[in-house]
Amino acid sequence: MARVSLSEWLARAENDRRFRENATAIRYIDASDGSFAPYPQWVNPLLQEVLTDRGITKLYSHQARAIEFVHQGRDIVLVTPTASGKTLCYNIPVLQRIIEEPETRAIYLFPTKALANDQMTEVHGLIRELKANIKTFTYDGDTPDDARQAIRKQGNVVVTNPDMLHAGILPHHTKWQKLFSNLKYVVVDELHTYRGVFGSHVTNVFRRLKRICRFYGQDPIFICCSATVANPKEHAENLLEKDIVLIDESGAPRSAKTFILYNPPVVNRELGIRQSAMTPARNMMNDLIGNRIQTIAFTTSRLNVEVLTKYLKDMFRGRIPDDHYVTGYRGGYLPNLRREIEKGLREKSIMGVVSTNALELGIDIGDLEACIMVGYPGTIASTWQQAGRAGRRTGESLAVLIAKSNPMDQFIVENPDYFFARSPEYCRVNPDNLLILLHHIKSAAFELPFEEGEMFGKEDLMELLAYLEEKGVLHRVDQRWHWAAENYPADEVSLRTISTENVVVVDTTDTGSHRVIAEVDWESAFTTLHDGAIYMMESQQYHVDLLDLERKKAYVKKVDVDYYTDAMNYTNVKVIDDFDKKIKNDIIIEHGEVQVTRKVVGYKKIKFYTSENVGYGDVDLPQRDMHTTSYWFTLPWDLLNALQLTRLDIVDGLAGLTYCLHHISAMLLMSDIRDVDWCIGDKSGEWYVRPGNNRRVITTSPTKPVSVMDNAYDPTVFIFDAYPGGIGFSENLFDRHDELIKAVRSVIASCPCEHGCPMCVGPLLEVGPSAKHSALKILDMMMGP
Amino acid sequence: MSLKDRLSRLVGDAATTGEAKADPRQATMRELRDRIDTLMRRRERIIPPNTPRASRDAVPLGVAVAGEEVRTPHGKFFMSRTILNADDVYGYRRVRDFACPSMPAAAFLTGHQAFTDMSIKDGLFLDTETTGLSGGTGTFPFLIGLGWFEEDSFITCQLFARDFSEEGAVLRYLSEMASGKEFLVTFNGKAYDINLLTTRFILNRSHDMLAGMPHIDLLHPSRRIFAHRLENARLSTIESHILGVRREGDVPGFEIPQRYFDWLRQNDGMFLKDVFEHNRLDIISMASLLKYLTDLVENSIEMENYHHGDLLKLALFLHERGDVERSLRMFESLIMSPLPDVATGARRPLSIIYKKMRRWDDAVKLWLTLAHADQHDIFAIEELAKFYEHQTRELEKAVEIVRGLLENRGHLNEIHCTSLEYRYKRLLYKASLKEK
Repeated sequence: MARVSLSEWLARAENDRRFRENATAIRYIDASDGSFAPYPQWVNPLLQEVLTDRGITKLYSHQARAIEFVHQGRDIVLVTPTASGKTLCYNIPVLQRIIEEPETRAIYLFPTKALANDQMTEVHGLIRELKANIKTFTYDGDTPDDARQAIRKQGNVVVTNPDMLHAGILPHHTKWQKLFSNLKYVVVDELHTYRGVFGSHVTNVFRRLKRICRFYGQDPIFICCSATVANPKEHAENLLEKDIVLIDESGAPRSAKTFILYNPPVVNRELGIRQSAMTPARNMMNDLIGNRIQTIAFTTSRLNVEVLTKYLKDMFRGRIPDDHYVTGYRGGYLPNLRREIEKGLREKSIMGVVSTNALELGIDIGDLEACIMVGYPGTIASTWQQAGRAGRRTGESLAVLIAKSNPMDQFIVENPDYFFARSPEYCRVNPDNLLILLHHIKSAAFELPFEEGEMFGKEDLMELLAYLEEKGVLHRVDQRWHWAAENYPADEVSLRTISTENVVVVDTTDTGSHRVIAEVDWESAFTTLHDGAIYMMESQQYHVDLLDLERKKAYVKKVDVDYYTDAMNYTNVKVIDDFDKKIKNDIIIEHGEVQVTRKVVGYKKIKFYTSENVGYGDVDLPQRDMHTTSYWFTLPWDLLNALQLTRLDIVDGLAGLTYCLHHISAMLLMSDIRDVDWCIGDKSGEWYVRPGNNRRVITTSPTKPVSVMDNAYDPTVFIFDAYPGGIGFSENLFDRHDELIKAVRSVIASCPCEHGCPMCVGPLLEVGPSAKHSALKILDMMMGP
Repeated sequence: MSLKDRLSRLVGDAATTGEAKADPRQATMRELRDRIDTLMRRRERIIPPNTPRASRDAVPLGVAVAGEEVRTPHGKFFMSRTILNADDVYGYRRVRDFACPSMPAAAFLTGHQAFTDMSIKDGLFLDTETTGLSGGTGTFPFLIGLGWFEEDSFITCQLFARDFSEEGAVLRYLSEMASGKEFLVTFNGKAYDINLLTTRFILNRSHDMLAGMPHIDLLHPSRRIFAHRLENARLSTIESHILGVRREGDVPGFEIPQRYFDWLRQNDGMFLKDVFEHNRLDIISMASLLKYLTDLVENSIEMENYHHGDLLKLALFLHERGDVERSLRMFESLIMSPLPDVATGARRPLSIIYKKMRRWDDAVKLWLTLAHADQHDIFAIEELAKFYEHQTRELEKAVEIVRGLLENRGHLNEIHCTSLEYRYKRLLYKASLKEK
């Protein structure tokens, strides 16, 4: 059969009745002309000439505005789409200043090493053509020791990431004296990635950076770029704690794109089960790649990357030139392999790639034609960024979002106007989370002694310093606090996860030569590397023989089995302190501080393709505790009893309601679903609800099921921040309680299923047959007459 | 609730955490802490009786350590000064014996000719004690030990910041002392002490005298020359094995930061008594070591006074530095060493020097000796093969000698085998051409 082009493929799909039925929206985003402006007078003629030679004869209007503001000494944040020439907005002012004052220094910060490498290539090109003596270097964990000294002294532009700034540069600022004494610009790209926990850390790194700059008498200008988020100015001002000018009108022309929202067909109306999102994804990928239309698929988990890659490799077996024609890509692959895949994509030797959001940011993989998103990426900004990977410069491109069976995905595809019209999410940070703040106060004290009356963060600095003095890490003398401990505090905390620990995966298949094949962060190790787990890597399956937490190693062997594993967690929450309380229709609504205990108790074996449950295994891993903040509401038994439901029905109803509430909370907060977690229990932490092998049980410990709740306290539903110390979501949820409950009720009530399904109260087999009915009764009661 | 209470709860060190179990890392940490505590308790018994105990009253610094407060326009600090007289014994030697290291020899060791014309009287020995080894701006050098020769005596002078606020005065004083001297002598100062002091000068916004001074760092030559027979190249190891210094009740280096923190909190001079002594001995040892190393260079031909292995390492070191003449003389005496490893180790580089000088007879003699002593000596056999092939053009001899080695290939590694086989084939081909 002859190959078809993307536009022919699209025309065919639109004429297909079944495709049309499942596509809840097909939007055409037209190409648009740009709006342009001449170079400002002050731009160095040589610089202008080099740019003109590259075909940039005039600037986009937003570029002209941006460099004008920077020229005037203002801090800016630039919010324009992918491929709108953002890099020029910082390269022009920075290079200009270096040409005028050769001692000038600038720091470019990118969230990942890969992005930093990409940027280097671009700046190098410009400098080469300028024939100027301007030195730019990447400084990250891979920089060889012997190159470091030259970089510190000579680098005009140092390209690095916040982690390196935190642990490698600021604690050694005296070695960077030359840089800090001449630092005029700090460029912060992909600003929107600095949100939540990571953003809270990065805000503190900026506090430290500005403190060090002050010591060297500098006050650099910050030039920030961000993907489209709802509050770019506010976010930039929260991160940098400065006034920032917003530039958000793009003057760049835009290419045409077809954006499709796709809801897989219902395959069992009674159970309300839709076809798995993986099925249409697999078929579309197969068809597109088969027509040599280069396609990227994004999945929402590492596991799904591997599962989908395996499916595709199975389908293409025998038809493709080599094993890398379709491939996976995710964190955990070793850097060399990743560089190889990126190159393969640029050179079009790889026609299909399945990735996590690892490829979402601006890593250069060339222009792909089509993008399939398997599941809503969790945020609207991410969705647009992923869609932007297709068709950066080509004439036409395609993006398809395939909904999964959960309330958030269903809400998005069934409400296209919400998706297309709504400005995307808010970025939030809570830099004054005590644990985070404290870590950075320690690091800051290591860098320079604190002085009486200094400010750092919004908590009472003097009190925190006194606390650290009492703990023996600071020593106070003459109104100054000095670091007085042997260790290096920046090493104690990683900006990205709670723990700095990693578990390495060791392949022992060949008994003669053990080989490290991957690294997994500490938290994920509990759910993906427990004994008996199937760990998947480049669609090869490995059986975990032993997880050695003490040595931080997991020993695995290659296997070929027809199932994968999914860990079962239990969670228990205990209230420590309530910050605020309100009562509505006799329901007690609160938020405050809680202790969360989590434990992996076992795992399910799930068969490929059919997703059948083919067995269970037990896991014996230590439990993990954390203190965090939570929002919760308590339903008095008197009210619940009046609903005339059995106790088990009530439990099922609560579980269904909570399932939906969890998803809708994440959506309203515009946060990743994993940033918030849930639990049903009581405020004392005496008992809680967990799914058993067959149905839900109420229990007091992971091993002891108790079937009734007599004598138990009133049931309480918790939605908590999944980070120690909390990240500021809980208070927001507390304030928006009414809005939340209303949205939850509307999702459940309007779902077409009969007894409950993954799109409203959760999978029927997990929540029980009365969940939907009971949940609605409970919600009606909560909303009052 | 106060910040402190909130924090205590978050980090889980108050009773409020209830019956919650800690995560495995915390458990591991606790276990580790318990183990360290046990170790510390056990060690207390072997620490000399004058070591501070919590129960005893604090001893003033001036009583525990001989010294006095110095007042300067920039602030005050504490200084301890001692004199070692010319006849005082330190390890195997008297101070007088190490008061006059050869400066030309020091120039050879460092590769910097400028030292030749300097006088040892203008050298400043320097060693710091710090609050940690991690480096970075938060590491504080609280004790700066200095030393220099005056006539045949050796003076040590230790500048001590009794707390962080005295650092500025200490650094100014250090700058003044350094400005009266011409060069520095340290042990690992290039990578550590001087870097750290540079950081402190920047933090105190004062001029850094030290960074630009000529600098003899004894670590590098010591490691090159002694490491072959010592477990490590630490100053304490070298001084006990080479200089004959025995320290009684020395405080281990890793304990020093904690001693200073204890002093800060309790103001008990007994915490520091051993630290001052440790630092003082380090400085004197550097002076003695400098003399030992320069003597080795000066008298390198007098084999009877020195360890032949050290001489071999020195000869190799000088050879690398390009000092062919001196290393040639050293290798020539070392091949007579009764230690087989040393003799063999000297023959190889010596043969290469001969080869470069085209002294073929001498070179061949060495290769034959090596091949005779060890029939698997691939270095010697390859050199002989090359010699027969290219110099005398006796291809048969070359083929034979390579074949002999290949027949015994069990002793060879893969890379050697491949290169030998390649050579063998080439020789056979060449031989066949010649026959035609």
